[in-house]
Amino acid sequence: MSFREKIHWVALTAIAIAFGWYFLTIAWRADDPAGLLASGGLLLLATIGVVVVMTLATVFLALRNPAEVNLKEDERDRSIHWRGTHFAYYPMIVGTWSCIGLIFAGVSQTGLLNLLLAMVVVAELIRIGSQIWLYRRGY
Amino acid sequence: MAQTLFTNDIRTLRFLNGEMTQADLGAQVGVTRQTIAAIEQGRYSPSLEVAFRIAKVFGKPLDAVFTWDGD
Repeated sequence: MSFREKIHWVALTAIAIAFGWYFLTIAWRADDPAGLLASGGLLLLATIGVVVVMTLATVFLALRNPAEVNLKEDERDRSIHWRGTHFAYYPMIVGTWSCIGLIFAGVSQTGLLNLLLAMVVVAELIRIGSQIWLYRRGY
Repeated sequence: MAQTLFTNDIRTLRFLNGEMTQADLGAQVGVTRQTIAAIEQGRYSPSLEVAFRIAKVFGKPLDAVFTWDGD
């Protein structure tokens, strides 16, 4: 497994765990009077968690695979990245239009924040997940 | 698993060229070892440029390295 693929696995796992925790916690605290601030605080914790895990994992994997760290992306890497980003576009556009509709439906700021966040998380999971699948498949 | 519509003799040519490794070939062509492995296994279709570069490393014409198997 290449260095890039390992980094993708770390990102997928970290995002799934951190934001899975975030959304499970938010679901239990839906009636919290702190509302937006409570979501903001948890979001900050989840984001810091992902950044810390990604940084530590990248350093660890770079030390274990020094030869691969400075390899430039080749045409297959670029193609895989483009295709992954292409797949992630669809949840982004669906989520964006859903948010626009919900603004007019009078959904709360907290609700919109969490919907926007869910949209980004789903798009990221699809992007990274599809890139891992393409790496495994060959293309 | 996706398969390309052509086969190739890269593995044999590497062996005949001093048992060249995938990493060595990748370095000469400008792609990663994983990309050479994917091409060899018929799981990735390289660009025309990379195909020509691979053939050039072995000093062969393109059709001595890649053979079209489609309709």
